[in-house]
Amino acid sequence: MSEKIYFNFQGPWSDAATELLCSDTGSWRTERPVLDEEKCILCGFCAMYCPIQCIEMKGQFFHSDLNFCKGCGVCARECPKKAISMVPEGEFK
Amino acid sequence: MNMNSEKSELKVITGNGAAAISAVLCRPDVVAAYPITPQTEIIEKLSHYHATGRLDAEMVTVDGENSAMNTVTAASAAGARVFTATSSWGLVFMYDAVLAASGARAPVVMVNVNRETPGIIAVSAGQQDMISIRDCGWIFLIAEDSQEILDLVIMAYRLAEDYDIQVPVMVHYDGFYLSYMAERVEVPSQKSVDDFLAVLKTQPERTKLVPGQKLGCGAHGILEGYVELRHKHCAAMERAKDKFEEISLDFEKQFNRSYGGQIEEYRLDDAEIVLVASGSMCGTIKTVIDEQREKGLKIGLLRIRMFRPFPSEKIIKALKGKKCAGVVDRSICFGFKPGPMCVELKSFSRELGDLKILSFIDGIANTDITKINVEKMISMTIAGAKGENVPEVTWISYDKDLKEC
Amino acid sequence: MADKKKKKRLSKVFDYLKYEDPFAKGVSFCAGCPLERLVRFVPQVMGNDIVITGTPSCSAPVLLGQNGKSWHKLSYYGTLMTGAASNATGLARYYKRAGIDGTVVCFNGDGTAADIGFGNLSGAAERNEPFVYICYDNEGYMNTGIQKSSTTPFGAKTTTTPVGSNERGKNLRRKNLGLLLAMHKIPYAATATLSNLEDFAKKLLKAKEISKKGFCFLHIFSPCPTGWGMPTDTGIEVCRKAVQTNYFPLWEAENGKFSFTKEVKKPKPIKEYVKLVKKFSHLTEEEIEVLQKDVDYEYAVLKQLSLLDQECPLPD
Ligand code: SF4
Ligand code: SF4
Repeated sequence: MSEKIYFNFQGPWSDAATELLCSDTGSWRTERPVLDEEKCILCGFCAMYCPIQCIEMKGQFFHSDLNFCKGCGVCARECPKKAISMVPEGEFK
Repeated sequence: MNMNSEKSELKVITGNGAAAISAVLCRPDVVAAYPITPQTEIIEKLSHYHATGRLDAEMVTVDGENSAMNTVTAASAAGARVFTATSSWGLVFMYDAVLAASGARAPVVMVNVNRETPGIIAVSAGQQDMISIRDCGWIFLIAEDSQEILDLVIMAYRLAEDYDIQVPVMVHYDGFYLSYMAERVEVPSQKSVDDFLAVLKTQPERTKLVPGQKLGCGAHGILEGYVELRHKHCAAMERAKDKFEEISLDFEKQFNRSYGGQIEEYRLDDAEIVLVASGSMCGTIKTVIDEQREKGLKIGLLRIRMFRPFPSEKIIKALKGKKCAGVVDRSICFGFKPGPMCVELKSFSRELGDLKILSFIDGIANTDITKINVEKMISMTIAGAKGENVPEVTWISYDKDLKEC
Repeated sequence: MADKKKKKRLSKVFDYLKYEDPFAKGVSFCAGCPLERLVRFVPQVMGNDIVITGTPSCSAPVLLGQNGKSWHKLSYYGTLMTGAASNATGLARYYKRAGIDGTVVCFNGDGTAADIGFGNLSGAAERNEPFVYICYDNEGYMNTGIQKSSTTPFGAKTTTTPVGSNERGKNLRRKNLGLLLAMHKIPYAATATLSNLEDFAKKLLKAKEISKKGFCFLHIFSPCPTGWGMPTDTGIEVCRKAVQTNYFPLWEAENGKFSFTKEVKKPKPIKEYVKLVKKFSHLTEEEIEVLQKDVDYEYAVLKQLSLLDQECPLPD
């Protein structure tokens, strides 16, 4: 049995002020959202609906953070201009 | 109850009344109220005190006992001093929340008015409700009379909320016998109770759930984290033993009343034979002991006041060198022949040396533990001390061999 | 392209996201689960100083910490499903007494809200406790592996209402949780979903305000891609279709005054919703008609309620 201390408290309290738990959800992805900047009208719906809130304005356009993007495709489906397409990860190997 | 008086007052009140007044004197922030026989009078009284301004607290008239325990536990985690009371099936209905409270190490104080529980719906006295949940991680204190009910509730707050303890405390007393019986009770002044509890304010603050503080309670403590929390909990339970001795001494200084600490030793010093018991039956037992002492019999009583944590060290010290102990249980340990407290006592029989231990089961479902019953127990214990052949377990009021039933 | 500067035309709902998303970016909801959008949306709109309570459920691993660490920066309290609303009661009452500011948000699935914790939810509503109860309704016990709940709709296939020679999914109708709670005469009850985020945000803000005085209940439609058999990208689309077919109408009741916050002019037939979700794929035309009738009935009741003039505010 390890003697590591997990809880800094008597009870099951967790202090989230400094460090957060975080999963490597980017590794779940089988498809990747790819943006066609020509079509994008910068409405932001992709960023608004992305369940994990990993789409942010980078430079002039909205881009997904591929460290966390699960590849669900919600952004692509909700984009009113069909500016995002889901491309199999294999193509980026 | 005169809230401003600096003097204590003598009153004739029921055990339930004593519990309610005591709760008021401890100034809880949040009180959850739900009725059940024989506890109902407590929450009626508290509601009355609240309506008339004597109790300044958030009074939550919940939708069931489960809600009562959940409400006070969360309030406690947020930093409140809390109170609630229950009995029997009510205790069962809140069982998941009772476990959650101890897991959260929330210093809840609850009164449980003992009543029979499993299976047969009996509106009658017995400690079976307490026994059925004894491994819930709470501290259990057991009162003998109304005065002690009042006093134990006050001591319970000192214990539960102590920074070194932070474990919920349940104060038990016998339903019907104590709940409804009116006795003379000295009600301490508000100031003296405030003074007694003021020590808690000098301690470091316990962890509290505050909005925006980035702190959470109720984590999944998986694997080692879980083991770690369990270990901490057990350590706190161990610390609670000495802490309760300390608190009992402080209490005596403040209020001039003393009961002993984890156990009360009644005429035990030179005793050769001992009855081990808890709760209201101890009054009767003490009377019989006094009578038998007149006749020259060396007999004493060991009264268990703290049942969780179990006062093993104290019991070993008190019983060492005695000849025979009869343990009286007002409950059953299903699957074991002896009563529950007897089973637990036997777990350290090696340390007790040659002591012979007998189990007496009596007083379940309101059957009175009369003087005659106690005399019977004593004569069997004497026989045991002499090495005569006495049954290991005797149901005093229903003496049949289990094989015959 | 490079010289052609585009102008941002952000949707209005962005104005409502006033606060930081307090969650870690990588949390373990299934890909595409609207519930993940929901848990992030609530503090984005209501603020990070809410106290959130969670129960064992799909959201539990994320709302509650593990081994002394947490997935988010909110104050949270983990409770059992049986007493979720009572725990929130304890927190809210003490904060009220101690004069501590902060909204308590009791965040639970339909299993807790409509079933195992329904009694104490009803109790808290009756006592008008000062907190916000959010039920995310994914129409079943998803975390334990897709079992039927009392909000599972007619015909839906779950692991306890399977489809076989003797059974054709759930042959009972769903409980209308929002209406039931509104009938407690609480100051605020509303429905919302993830396709209509502006509507949802307004309701969250209203609830935050009103909860200072009394109980607020939000019933959120939150489809489960994994449990319902939906492609991961269709979560929002299914929400939208549920609104457009009146399967999940968007309404609110303030002090007992009902109104639709989105009247669907020409509701689409339920068929169009049903076909998006595999849990209904076995249904015949007749069976779909049963579901349609149920939806029509619930809508008709709401319609009548919305026409009433009466209110039932609590005296101050
Ligand atoms: S694929 Fe899903 S997770 Fe990835 S950016 Fe789009 S919406 Fe977000
Ligand atoms: S939804 Fe489509 S058009 Fe709108 S910002 Fe995102 S990519 Fe551009």
